[in-house]
Amino acid sequence: MTSDIEKNPITDLKYEKNISKIVILGGGTAGWITAGTLAAKLNKQHDKNYSVTLIESANVPPIGVGEGTWPTMRRTLKNMGIRETDFIKQCYVSFKQGAKFSKWVTGTNDDYYYHPLMLPEGEVADTTAHWISLSFPYQPSQQVKNNATPSFSMCVSPQEAICEAGLAPKFITTAEYDAVANYAYHLDAGAFSTFLQKHCTEQLRVNHVLDDVIGIHNDNYGDIHSLTTTNNGDVCGDLFIDCSGFKSLLIGEHYQVPFKCCKDVLFVDNAIAVQVPYENVQSPIASHTISTAQSAGWIWDIGLTHRRGVGHVYSSQYITEQQAIKELKTYLTDSVENVDELQFRKIPINPGHREKFWHKNCVAIGLSAGFLEPLEASALLLVEISANMIAQQLPANRGSMDIVARRFNETFLYRWNRIIDFLKLHYMLNQRNDSQFWIDNRNPDSIPDSLKRLLELWRYQAPSDDDFVHATEVFPAASYQYILYGMGFKTEPSHLGYSAASLQRGKQISNGVYEQQKHLTRSLPSQRELINLINQYGLQKI
Amino acid sequence: MNNVIVDSKIHKNTSVIRGHGSEFGENVHFVPVIADELRQLMLEYPCCLLKNNQTGQFGLHALLGFEPGENLFLNDKGWSSQYIPLHIRRQPFMVGYTSMEDAPNAKNTVLTIDMDNKRVVNTDTDIDTDTDMQQHAAHLLFDGNGQPTEYLKQMNKMVFDLAQGIVRTEQFVAVLVEHDLIESIQLGVSIKQRLQRGMNESDRQIEKINFDGLYVINEQKLAALSGDLLNQLHQNGYLQACYLIAGSMGQIQKMIAMRNEG
Repeated sequence: MTSDIEKNPITDLKYEKNISKIVILGGGTAGWITAGTLAAKLNKQHDKNYSVTLIESANVPPIGVGEGTWPTMRRTLKNMGIRETDFIKQCYVSFKQGAKFSKWVTGTNDDYYYHPLMLPEGEVADTTAHWISLSFPYQPSQQVKNNATPSFSMCVSPQEAICEAGLAPKFITTAEYDAVANYAYHLDAGAFSTFLQKHCTEQLRVNHVLDDVIGIHNDNYGDIHSLTTTNNGDVCGDLFIDCSGFKSLLIGEHYQVPFKCCKDVLFVDNAIAVQVPYENVQSPIASHTISTAQSAGWIWDIGLTHRRGVGHVYSSQYITEQQAIKELKTYLTDSVENVDELQFRKIPINPGHREKFWHKNCVAIGLSAGFLEPLEASALLLVEISANMIAQQLPANRGSMDIVARRFNETFLYRWNRIIDFLKLHYMLNQRNDSQFWIDNRNPDSIPDSLKRLLELWRYQAPSDDDFVHATEVFPAASYQYILYGMGFKTEPSHLGYSAASLQRGKQISNGVYEQQKHLTRSLPSQRELINLINQYGLQKI
Repeated sequence: MNNVIVDSKIHKNTSVIRGHGSEFGENVHFVPVIADELRQLMLEYPCCLLKNNQTGQFGLHALLGFEPGENLFLNDKGWSSQYIPLHIRRQPFMVGYTSMEDAPNAKNTVLTIDMDNKRVVNTDTDIDTDTDMQQHAAHLLFDGNGQPTEYLKQMNKMVFDLAQGIVRTEQFVAVLVEHDLIESIQLGVSIKQRLQRGMNESDRQIEKINFDGLYVINEQKLAALSGDLLNQLHQNGYLQACYLIAGSMGQIQKMIAMRNEG
């Protein structure tokens, strides 16, 4: 008995050490979002004796590819005390209302579906009952359109119509961060880092050390004690957050936490990114991310206010780099005059994530934790929810850190797996036979069991939030509905039939959505108009 | 709108019909006002801030009705209120700026008149006799010698005062915005349906109408001000203006009664 008590870690001095100094390594978007989220929370709730320090190498260029976010970014920025007007003006931000997936089902020119950010109107049971009965027997998405049966997304939300018309999700009179139609952002990642850095250092008292880390020192317990820098000596800390990008200096290089590759599920392993100028400064800006399927991957197309960010993510197992560039150039020919003058940049992708993210007193956020293709803008979302969980559950001392770390690891392993499942869903439902890439994506061996089980369930009932066990799901059931039904997946009509009342409610919801579509497409300004107004007048805080 | 600079030659025979009514576009449910008017306005109208639809910027307004086209203060005989907002009274005149560099002053402003305004008539062609002139209570801009009439002098002063008042009001509103002294309110009122032709008083249903887009002074924040800022607001007259606005909102009750009687 006595020996057990002696072994109890609570009696160990190390475990009584308070957590008050947080050191973040890396000054990209991940580092600054984490710094801002933590500092804002600490400043709000605590008095003193804590510090947030961010060490950024002056010699490592950021990845700097234009990025899409989820609507969560609105709350993240607001919590940091950032004015949305400043953010929009300084980071070349446009509003993102969802994604349009072109050629993902059959590959023909009229093949597209939307994943809007607005949740379906009304009770899921009623809307899906209505839509399922409307669209039965099933037809591929584009035929549904031709037969004038609205697509699922048109049936349950006004947002597809808003996006197709190139309209903004709000008015100039709508307050900052408020929405008429739910929205996220497209932003210039390089400008965003600079913007956050200024806000974090000037408003949130984050210490900024611009220096290279040349040494990592452990204490006797294997925790990181300090980071040695070239000009600023040793930077000590109680909690170290690894935001060092693909280099993964702490969690990967230092601690050698294994990496779990998921290339067997998600095949793409390379990206070629390019910045594309607009024809003129008043060119329309798309209100959604456009994802167009190619022979062995897909092309993202993101409209910022000053340029577009376009890129081809592909699998090198199916096409060469030259072929990938050629497909990208073909895609751009319609909208750009001199495609050959553009700068194409290759970014290798190793799809997957660390086996755990929090090890000892070090936690990885951002690319150091892992990376997946940007099909559903999960990268910044993961940064936000990781930073948020650390801010909410910041352990008081080293003893309780292991408990929080364990919880963090369980939560984020679950989240990474749900994202992988959700991305795979976009691929596995394709009906294309024009290339081996798409055929192989339907191979059951490439589909995780968890996803197979859900699909079996969804053959008989529409996705519902009850299908997911965690209270902190990354994607709502609505997202699965948009993808499934957008791609022509069949949920059988209930063998118990649908009550007249349920169908009536569904129909009413659908009529209401139609009225909203009419009203909003008539009254909302174009994306470009609203951006111009914001640049001139700004949005009000209320 | 067809605004031209007032000129004794061009407008030799131009006169302006005074009177009030919906025929002059006065059937509006809100009107922009200046802070200098608040003392008079608050005795009769609810005053609040509304956002400009084109710019999203806040402006100070007096509410006149509950829906577009409804001015509860306007009846067959004119306005039932003692005080009529300057923006209504200045019609059809406006200040024209020759340069926007400074605040409006005698040098960079000119008096203009909207020739498309229903009030503007040409005495030669539109009105034949003196009787008509009296009936319409129309006022010439210039006398027989080409000199401005007393009426025009009065209007000139009013429009010029208004232009300066607008600038002061914008500064006042900017300070309110800067210090987060504005809050949005959801105004829900139960009012009777509008009386329409062929409808009996007993047919009028009570409607619950919710108004969005109304902004008022955040009195809690105002009361919590202290030190330099409080002093500064007081010295500029902003503090008093805030309390006048806050006090004016009680007039909503009177407007509900007006609506239900009318």
